[in-house]
Amino acid sequence: MGDFLLVTIQVDMHDRLAITLQEDLTERIVNDRTRGVLIDISALDIVDSFIGRTLGNIASMSRILDAETVVVGMQPSVAITLVELGLSLPGIRTALNVDRGMDLLRESLERG
Amino acid sequence: MIPVTPPIGVSPLFSVPLRRHVDIVTARQRARRIAAGLGFNHQDQVRIATAVSELARRALERSGGRIDFGVSQNSEPPLLMITVSGCAVPRGRRAAFVPGRELAAGDDDLVTIERLLDLFHVEHCENGEAIIRMGKALLPASLTERAISNVLAGLVAEAPDATFEELQRQNSELIETLELLRRREAELGDRQTELRRLNLELEETNRGVVALYAELDEKTLAVKRADELKSRFLSYMSHEFRTPVNAILALSQLLLRHVDGDLSAEQERQIGYIRRAGGELLEMVNDLLDLSKVESGRIEIRKAPMDVGQLFRALRGIMRPLALSDAVVLVFDEPPAGLILQSDETKVTQVLRNLISNALKFTEQGEVRVSCAVASGGNQVLLSVTDTGIGIAPQDRELIFQEFAQIDNKLQRRVKGTGLGLPLSRKLAALLGGDLSVQSVPGEGSTFTLALPMETSAGEAPVPAGRRAESSDAILIIDDEEAARYIARQVFRGTRYRIVEASEGGEGAERARFEQPALILLDLAMPGRNGFDVLDDLKSNPETVHIPVVVHTSRHLSPAEIERLRGRHAAVLPKGGSGRREALQVIRELLAEPELFDQEPEFAEPEGGIP
Repeated sequence: MGDFLLVTIQVDMHDRLAITLQEDLTERIVNDRTRGVLIDISALDIVDSFIGRTLGNIASMSRILDAETVVVGMQPSVAITLVELGLSLPGIRTALNVDRGMDLLRESLERG
Repeated sequence: MIPVTPPIGVSPLFSVPLRRHVDIVTARQRARRIAAGLGFNHQDQVRIATAVSELARRALERSGGRIDFGVSQNSEPPLLMITVSGCAVPRGRRAAFVPGRELAAGDDDLVTIERLLDLFHVEHCENGEAIIRMGKALLPASLTERAISNVLAGLVAEAPDATFEELQRQNSELIETLELLRRREAELGDRQTELRRLNLELEETNRGVVALYAELDEKTLAVKRADELKSRFLSYMSHEFRTPVNAILALSQLLLRHVDGDLSAEQERQIGYIRRAGGELLEMVNDLLDLSKVESGRIEIRKAPMDVGQLFRALRGIMRPLALSDAVVLVFDEPPAGLILQSDETKVTQVLRNLISNALKFTEQGEVRVSCAVASGGNQVLLSVTDTGIGIAPQDRELIFQEFAQIDNKLQRRVKGTGLGLPLSRKLAALLGGDLSVQSVPGEGSTFTLALPMETSAGEAPVPAGRRAESSDAILIIDDEEAARYIARQVFRGTRYRIVEASEGGEGAERARFEQPALILLDLAMPGRNGFDVLDDLKSNPETVHIPVVVHTSRHLSPAEIERLRGRHAAVLPKGGSGRREALQVIRELLAEPELFDQEPEFAEPEGGIP
């Protein structure tokens, strides 16, 4: 994927797993000099506040490490529930799918 | 949110304990499954699951709790009821959700959770915890017994908590196993140390054993050497004994025959004693020599066609004089007609003679019967000597085959023997490929059976008897020993034969050509041309090639020497060796005069006959 890191979350993560993912990702960003991170959550049925916060954390950390994060593939029901919960995932850029996410990343890199 | 009446009577469906973080995942997945089973749409399933997830985390953040799922059918509409206990909720912060009110970030998220459901109620407890009851309206149509039981079946089948519990259990098992392994390892270490110590000990013992072995080897060697020495000594002594004993016998025989003038009755008796004592001595010496030969493997079996009928006739002639008393009859059964065996006649005769003389010794009355039968489907020939003597007690039956063993009984004290006859016979039987066995009833008699293998194939044909020399009346003896020539002279005295003597090999061959004797007695060990050279001369000369040569020697022939003699001599007569009577028999046969020596039975019968 060139400079981008694609993370596909396939399972319902428990909290510790989510934190582990966050740690692994930041490490990879540093080691691989990754410029963009794509997190595909299309397989996730449930995104509660903790996972939402974790995604937000990943996004802000990667920004500090000079990388953009795009969350792609969110299911509509998840989006609705998040909104109803009052979680708007501040600081997280989202895209409909992986292709759109890639475009988004490329654009922002070119701009940068 | 739709208006609902408070739930009355909740039928429980399922519970999830909240103890670990993974339980949050379990709780929300179960919530989702239950919601799906009860016919909620996808969006509502996500809502219910998300709410459960949030509240479960709250409970866990404090100290854990539990979530109970149930159905309230009495309310209107019916509700899916979810009760979460163990959450921490600040007092006073509850409330009713106000529709349309925007929630600011950081506002009490209970309110936002409430938005996902139709019923939300917080009950504060004494300890600061709260029990949260929430409900979601069900479509009455979906609330069938069937739907509920399906939900339950699905949940049970999924074995809630199973994976983690199982993992946990397996983990602790693994840890236990690991501990066990560690203990075992320590034990193994101990054992290894012990083993090492034992090994060292064993090595030491081994060294001891090796040393012992070396010592044993040494001893074995010493014993073997001693044994060899004994055999050599016996053989040598017997050999050396034989010459003087033979001389005593032959000379006393001559005296007894009054060849050199009359003897007084007293002298005659004394010389008789000398003769008998000499005979016994010779018998002993011969037995010893034979035994030592068998033991050292120096006896050679020379198989040739053997007519059992003829053998019996010869034995009858030889043995009859031994039947001392009229009370004992020696009977020879007629063997199966034309039974020709491939065996060593000399050795068979030796064994049978021994058995017969034993039988005669130990039989006071009745008969000694010699018989022959074919047994084992034609594979064996049994030569038996049956007596009506004193018999042998069962415990003694093997003893008698041991060297120098004699059974104490009244007859034993009367008759003499060396105790070597039966051991020797058994060894000879074994050499012939057969066996010697005994059956006996004490007081009634014994049967000794010599079993020989039935071999009828024609082997080396015997050298034809010297019938061609029939007309000659000369017997040539080629021997450097004066005594030997003298005794030969005496043997043939009174027969139609005259003795021609040669004391040296070259002269012997010369005389043979000139005299054309009926038989040549040839010594092997001579100064100048020895017996082998003379034999070469005789057999390479057409004038003497047909004359039968009896090799007459006091040496043990080596295999090489026997090979050198093979096919060129009629017989080997050991000087003073065993089988003296057979020796006379050989001469009889070679000269084709069965009646020869018969006019002098006393001379022919005992040991001293031929030098």
